[in-house]
Amino acid sequence: MSNIQKPVADRLLGIVLIGLAAFVAVQAIQLDVPFSYEPVGPKAFPLGLSILLAGLSLVLIFKPGADGHWPNRALSIRLLVVLGLLLVYALLFTRLGFVPTSVLVVAALARLFDATWTKALITGVLMSACSYVLFTEGLGIGLPTGTWLAAIT
Amino acid sequence: MFDFLIQGFGVALTPLNLGLAFLGALLGTLFGALPGIGPINGIAILMPLAYTLGLPAESALILLAGIYTGSEYGGRMSSILLNVPGDAGAVMTTLDGHPLAKKGLAGPALGLSAVSSFIGATIAIIGLTLFAPLLAEVAVMFGPAEFFALMVFAFSSMSVMMGKDPVKTAIGAVLGVLLATVGVDSGTGVMRYTFGMPELYDGIDFVVMIIGLFAISEILLMLEHANRKNADDEIPPLGRVFVSLKEVLYCKGAIWRSGVLGFIIGILPGTGASVAGAVSYTTEKRLSDKDGTFGKGDMRGLAAPEAANNASAAGSFVPMLTLGIPGSGTTAVLLGALMLYNITPGPMMFTERPEVAGGLIASLYIGNIVLLALNLPLAGVFARVLTIPRWVLVPAIAILAFVGVYQLHSDLTAIYLMLIIGVFGYLLRKLGFSLAPVILGYVLGGLMEQNLRRALSISGGDIDILWQSGISLGLWIAAAALLVLPWLVPKLLSKKPREEPQQD
Repeated sequence: MSNIQKPVADRLLGIVLIGLAAFVAVQAIQLDVPFSYEPVGPKAFPLGLSILLAGLSLVLIFKPGADGHWPNRALSIRLLVVLGLLLVYALLFTRLGFVPTSVLVVAALARLFDATWTKALITGVLMSACSYVLFTEGLGIGLPTGTWLAAIT
Repeated sequence: MFDFLIQGFGVALTPLNLGLAFLGALLGTLFGALPGIGPINGIAILMPLAYTLGLPAESALILLAGIYTGSEYGGRMSSILLNVPGDAGAVMTTLDGHPLAKKGLAGPALGLSAVSSFIGATIAIIGLTLFAPLLAEVAVMFGPAEFFALMVFAFSSMSVMMGKDPVKTAIGAVLGVLLATVGVDSGTGVMRYTFGMPELYDGIDFVVMIIGLFAISEILLMLEHANRKNADDEIPPLGRVFVSLKEVLYCKGAIWRSGVLGFIIGILPGTGASVAGAVSYTTEKRLSDKDGTFGKGDMRGLAAPEAANNASAAGSFVPMLTLGIPGSGTTAVLLGALMLYNITPGPMMFTERPEVAGGLIASLYIGNIVLLALNLPLAGVFARVLTIPRWVLVPAIAILAFVGVYQLHSDLTAIYLMLIIGVFGYLLRKLGFSLAPVILGYVLGGLMEQNLRRALSISGGDIDILWQSGISLGLWIAAAALLVLPWLVPKLLSKKPREEPQQD
């Protein structure tokens, strides 16, 4: 933490974006285009964009703005936990079914956002049940009942 | 000339569409009032559900426009009561709105903001009715070269006007345009950036894009404020809920000036409610602040930005409906919503789909009246929404986001993609990017490339066609001027030595 004064975030971003621009350009050049009568094929536009992006990134590297406030360690862990929870939600959504997965994830999310365990559990059960009824009965959306459950019964 | 409006009222006054305008206004106000959920977020979260209703295009648009204008109304609640602007457009509202609330005038402040919003929006909707058909007639003459130049102009105007950092705004727009190139190329059938994933052949789904970019990144951002408890979270007592006629008349100059100003600013591409609010507030302060009461709870200081940001919201429909170029991030989302119905907004819409263009404009008149009628008596009820804790709000957003994306194709890939885009959106926001240019770039990117390629195939590859007509040349010059002037003018001015500290 010695060079905290120097703006790092924007420079790093600039470098990443130049990498992205190069990737976009290489991918565009490698496109296998069948013969066409059009004077401009699918390559030109992404190529132009990648040049523009690289130019703008250079500005960012040479004239970076101040670093924003980045999450500290504790917050970063909570961020990762929330992301993990959303990932679990996605993973179990069709397997365990909408209602049970939602109960788990809603309760865990509520707990992470400082609800007590009791409140979190009640929120989880109520919100999952109400939204299931609202979506399936009210809006006619078919929600997954769970492939695991179906396998058991 | 106003046939489209008469036809539009015919569409908007059917019981279904009236009901939808009312529902949109109500949902929009509720969502706008929720802490951390601005207009874009409100539309992003509610849009997929609107699709499941299987509505025809004009009805869906009426519902979404109701949500849009409603959330502009709801956004002021937290500005006035908690000093926390719901979105960028409501920043100026806090300056005099919150001091008024602290004086015990929270109720009248909410009432005044509703009345000035109503008048500002009315001015702008009348302006929209008058100008849109005229502009559409001009725009009919636009060819692909002119449209391409127009989009370049829109992006440069946005880079200069939107957000603090023009370079980041431009980068955001380029990233958005790049995201739009994913999928099968319409001209040749070549796959671009699909990496062999069949889910990407049709490009990144618009709903996945906005929900990821706005809703998921919002969940991650809210975590930072999760355990912040401050005294300001107490909602001050509303006092009397109605604003008196005398108070409104006291502000009448501020309201109509700001309404006109907001409408004009709203028309310019890329300059949304935040610029309108700021410009009108500073103008009004210069004109009327004789006793130095602005910033200390002057009613005119509340009325001005409120009239202006609602006027600009209606004004931003002008370029969207006539040119197909959205004037703000939120209208970009509405434009994307229209494209899902295979309607490309633009000059032909007034002649080919008058029920959509007219129905939308007519519904804005109706929605505006509904909003005033809802907001004056129910201010106290809506204010309650502010006290909803985050531990209820965040899981609710998560459920709405997951179900909204899942119901598209009953498929998990879209959900994973949404999460990836959400992390991308979060990182961009942490790096000081505004997301509006990204979504504008994403919505306009495909059209931009199509128009460029069409223009060049007309000319047989001769690039001169892009600036051959007077209109396109004018747009190129305007775009260049916009980019150069903000950089050049301070340099010319600074030849005179000035020691003013720069404030940000």
